[in-house]
This record gives sequence, C-alpha cells and structure tokens, in this order.
Amino acid sequence: MRTRDSILSAIRAGLGGSRNDPAAIAAEAAELLAAPETIRPPLVAATRVDAFCEKVEALGVTLDRIGSIGEVPASVRRYLEDQRLSAEIAVESAALFRDLDWGEIRPRLAVAPDALAAVGLARHGIAESGSLVIHSCKETRILLALLPLHHIVVLRAANIVSHLEDYAALLVGHETSPRNAVLITGPSGTTDIEGSYVRGAHGPGFVHVILVVDA
Amino acid sequence: MTATTRPGFKARSDAALANSTLKTAIDRTAERKRAAALARFAEYEAARSRGSAIKDHVIANLDHYLEMFERNATASGAKVHWAATEAEACDIVIRLCREAGAKRVTRSKSMLGEEIGLPDALGSAGIERVETDLAEHIIQLAGEHPSHIIWPAMHRTREQVAELFNADHKPPPADDEAASMVQSARHVLREKFLSAGVGISGANFLIADTGATCTVTNEGNAELTTTPPRLHIVTAGIEKLVPSTSHAMALLRLLVRAATGSELTQYTTFHCGPKRPGDADGPQEMHIVLVDNGRSEMIANEFRDMLRCIRCGACMNHCVVYRQIGGHAYGGTYPGPMGAVLTPVFDGLAPSRDLPFACTMNGRCAEVCPVEIPLPMLLRSWRGRSWRAGLESEPMRTGLVAWAGLARRPSLYRMASGIGVRALRLLGRSGWIGSLPFAAGWTRHRDLPSPTGGTFMERYKAERGKRPEDRR
Repeated sequence: MRTRDSILSAIRAGLGGSRNDPAAIAAEAAELLAAPETIRPPLVAATRVDAFCEKVEALGVTLDRIGSIGEVPASVRRYLEDQRLSAEIAVESAALFRDLDWGEIRPRLAVAPDALAAVGLARHGIAESGSLVIHSCKETRILLALLPLHHIVVLRAANIVSHLEDYAALLVGHETSPRNAVLITGPSGTTDIEGSYVRGAHGPGFVHVILVVDA
Repeated sequence: MTATTRPGFKARSDAALANSTLKTAIDRTAERKRAAALARFAEYEAARSRGSAIKDHVIANLDHYLEMFERNATASGAKVHWAATEAEACDIVIRLCREAGAKRVTRSKSMLGEEIGLPDALGSAGIERVETDLAEHIIQLAGEHPSHIIWPAMHRTREQVAELFNADHKPPPADDEAASMVQSARHVLREKFLSAGVGISGANFLIADTGATCTVTNEGNAELTTTPPRLHIVTAGIEKLVPSTSHAMALLRLLVRAATGSELTQYTTFHCGPKRPGDADGPQEMHIVLVDNGRSEMIANEFRDMLRCIRCGACMNHCVVYRQIGGHAYGGTYPGPMGAVLTPVFDGLAPSRDLPFACTMNGRCAEVCPVEIPLPMLLRSWRGRSWRAGLESEPMRTGLVAWAGLARRPSLYRMASGIGVRALRLLGRSGWIGSLPFAAGWTRHRDLPSPTGGTFMERYKAERGKRPEDRR
C-alpha cells in the first residue's frame, strides 16, 4: 500500500496536483472519441457483410457462405474433404451445435495439443478489419481457437459489426467483459526469421469461416 | 536493466559496423510496409493527432485512471500490485511464482519485462523460463537480449537460427528453411505451454473502465501463455492506461500500422480477470504488477512527451544510425531513438550519455512517430543536460567553446568555413573523402562526400533575388 500511495503522490506532484473532477475527465475522454469516421478507414464495401468477406479473404482466410445453421455440418465436411483431414475433429460444446446432424463427422469435445482441426463459434465479426471475436465462456474455449492447425469458425452474419469501436462499445465495465475477448485477424504468422512470412507460428496456420447468412 | 552498458557505446558500435552479417539481417521491409499501410489510410494524420491527444489526456489524469483501473481490475477478480522500481517488480513476480510452486513459467514477449530484468531475475530464482515468442525463443537459445522491440532477433540470419535450433530442438528441424524452423518451434514449445505453472505477459494497453489488460501478437503465443497455467501475471508500465476499449482501438490502428504495416495484429486480446465460474478454460488467478520505474518523474520534466510512446519501433526502423549499428550497440533495453531517450532515464545519464549524441538530428523518427513524440528535441534536452553536468570530454568541450566563439563572430565564421570548404574539396578531388584528420571515426567505415559548392552564405548570396525556377 505504501508503494501505491508513493507512486500516486509522485504522479500528483508531477502534475501539479490532482484534478479530482471525474465528470470533467469523463467528458474530455468522450470528446476524444467524437467524429469517429474522421479517424478510421471507411468500410471497403457497401455492406458490413461484404466488407467483412473482402477483408477476411485478403487476410488469407477461406470462407463459405451458407443459408442456415443446419448446413454447418455439410460445410465442415466439404472443408475437411478439400483439405484431406480426418472426420474425427473437436467441436465446441455450444448449444447451437448440439442439435445438428453431424452425419459421418465424429465430433469430440477434447482438443488434442496437436489437433489438426476444430470447429468453434465466433461471437462477432468486425467488418473494418476482418476480425473474428471469440469470447471465453461456458461454451467457448480459448484453447480451441489456438491449438488446432485448422480453425473452422462459425459466424452468424447478423453478428458482424461495422468498426472496431462498435465492438468496443459492447465492453463497458468489467460486468460486460468476458475473461478473454480475442480478436482473431487472419491466421497465426511470424516474420521473425529474416522477415520471411510463415503461417502457423503457434496458433492455427489456416482459418476457415463458415458464414451463416440467415434472416 | 543496466547489464549491457559495459564496453562503452563507441566500442560496441565499432564492432557492429565491422560485422557484415548484421547488415544482411537488418533490411528495409518494415519501412516499405508501413508506408504502404498509411497510403491506404487517408485519415492517418487526423487519427495520429487524436492518438497523441488520447495519450496526453491519460498522462494529465494518470492518478485518476490508475485508481479507476485498480478498482475495475479488482472487481473482475484480478489482484493489483504496485512496484516503484525494477527490483520491486521482479520481487513481486518471483514471490508469486514461488507461492504458486511454479517450476516452469512461460513468458509472452514484453519489453517491460526486459526493462525490469525479469528474465535474469527468474533465472537467479531457479525458475525455468520459457520464452514463447519465436524471436524471443531464438535469443533465449543464443543467450542474448533483444536487438529490436518488435523483431528481437532481427540481427540473426536464418543460418544462425538453424544452428541454434539444431543444437536445442529434439528432433531438430527438417531443414534450415524458415517454414521448417517455425514448425519445429511450434512443436517444441507446445508441450511447455501446457505444462507451465505460471504464464507471464506484458500489456500494450491497460483499460481503465473494464480493468482489462490488452496484448497484441501475430503468433498467438500470448493466449497460449496466459490460458493454461494456474496463474497469469501481467507486468505493465503505468503509462499504458487508456480510458476505455474504444480509446485502445483508436491507438491500435496507429500502433499496428506503424509497427508492421498490417491493419491489426492477428491476435488482439483483452484479458479481464481470472477464469469465471463455469468458464471452459482460463487461469485461476490473475495478478497485475503496475510498474513505475522512473515514469512518475518523467511527468514532471521535459520527458513527459515520451510517456506517449506505444512501443511500435517505427523510429528505429527509420533511423540511419540504428540501421548501421543495430540494436545491441545501444546497450540498453530499448534501442534506437526512443531507446536513446529512455535509457538515460533508467540507467542515469553518466553511463549512457553517448546515446543522445548518436543521432544525426535528421528528424525522421519524429516524422514517423504515430503519437507525435518530438524525439530529436528530447535527445537535444539530454545533450544540454550532459553539457551542464560536465560529462563531455575535454577535447569536445574545448572544440565546442571554440566553435561557439567563432559562431558569435559572423565575419570570422564565414572566413573559417570558406577555408574549410576549400580544404575539404582539395582532400576529396575524386568526389569522396577517404580519410580526414580528427574524423577517423567517420571515415573508417564510410567515405565522406566532397562538398560540391561554396559555403552556405556564398550560396545564399548567389541565389538570393533569383526566381525559384532559376535557382540551382
């Protein structure tokens, strides 16, 4: 406690006293977010969904648009066949997935440390950057998004927000913040060895989005 | 972190200039990528002013935001610790590791961790430290410190990395292509991520209104470091605060473009407290160590602007001096222009006074800084302090006093510079000067171009009165 107080008093001394006016400080902070369109790039397409798709593909993420949640297993199967991956894969325990008819896919809960593929669920998409947002909770594991080589992510088009601030506005106060909110923007990569870009440094080398465009 | 100020800056930069491998490893890719990213961001200048204003607002109300952050982080279930010095910060981390009974800790790259000397402190405490960022893994194997704040191993060539991996990785990489070596590191580190007792990260931002800490990585190592262990410890400088997640987003747009030329890092994560009841994964405890280490003093002096720094590395990528000598020659935790401003804060001016002088004052660093830090001005402040503290060598003091005497007498100055220019032209008849009395330090590693015209005043008189299109 003594260290805390001495740091705070050193800061106040350096500032020439504390303002001690939370309302004025909050008003100034809000002012710094005014006219957001003047400090951020516009979307690259006319709609949020089109802009998101364009950004995601530019990042080297593959994409399959489907019409309803019921088509998820078929879309997963297509990807696994294209990539010649085993049909025995980890699938998130989300309620949304539980009632689906997975057919010959054998979903498992456990994600092996060297898992080849896993199916997860994104809470949001961000059109500005092509980001997928994963929230830690009962139904979503952070490790499921990080361990596999191929991360297959289901996202509802209705959950795509326009800009980074539009997502940030959802996290105000610790009550609305999950333990972990991960914005995934393209596959894991590194340029640490002589600047050459290599995918799959620690996280997935391949990200595949199944975009559910239902009404 | 003072350990590396040993052989003196001049000796270190001499060695760096003579090292041809180093010149191969440092290239201009980062500069090109940043320029391309900004060309696609028409709102950049407005975003940059806003970003600087956000940081200024936070620093002007830092006590308020620190208390707000502490309140919200505590409410989210995290424990907040305060450290005035690097030693205090390390002690807190070591104590937490011991209490957790951790034999192995994983660490996600953090420059603050380097600043407080955490890698060495963990080693002395007998705790196995596993660096998980690929570049940090490379320099841990090499027993080195980072040479760049974004690409810590940029001084190492692919062949040198292959040598390190072949000796350490079991099985060794399939070949010495970058892809095989990355694959090998992925395999070797995977098991360590999942068996560590504590995961340590830094923070790019501390979010006051949620109590969350934010990390950015391209590899995904921060999430793998902080999710499986029982404890997640964050060490962060007190200047990392922002009012809200939206303010962090405004700064992230600047940070990532300036650092790597991407629009956003592959993984941008907000960590808010420990695992919640019912959560499928996450650490049982989260500890956040807020580190001052000289920052509160900077608020009161001319170095306050430096507290805006978001550690993007653009200043070093564009620095002609950094490009020639690389990061290690600077001898501090932070290299390049921002390092030359910060190292004297941490280590004192006497052992690091050469750093503010290792600058051509070309102003590139300030031009490319995403938060408008006037780096050359700050370096000049250190030069002034160094002069006033009497740290210059006798020949330098005599030379400067002589120059100042001359500069105050315009006619004498013009005469002297006229003689100087002609003498230099005589020496450099081929167009280049290969060696020069009193300037061997310059000409040993490069030639000096011979002056092409007269003195500045001669040229000024000749051109004055001409229309712009007629000027040479």
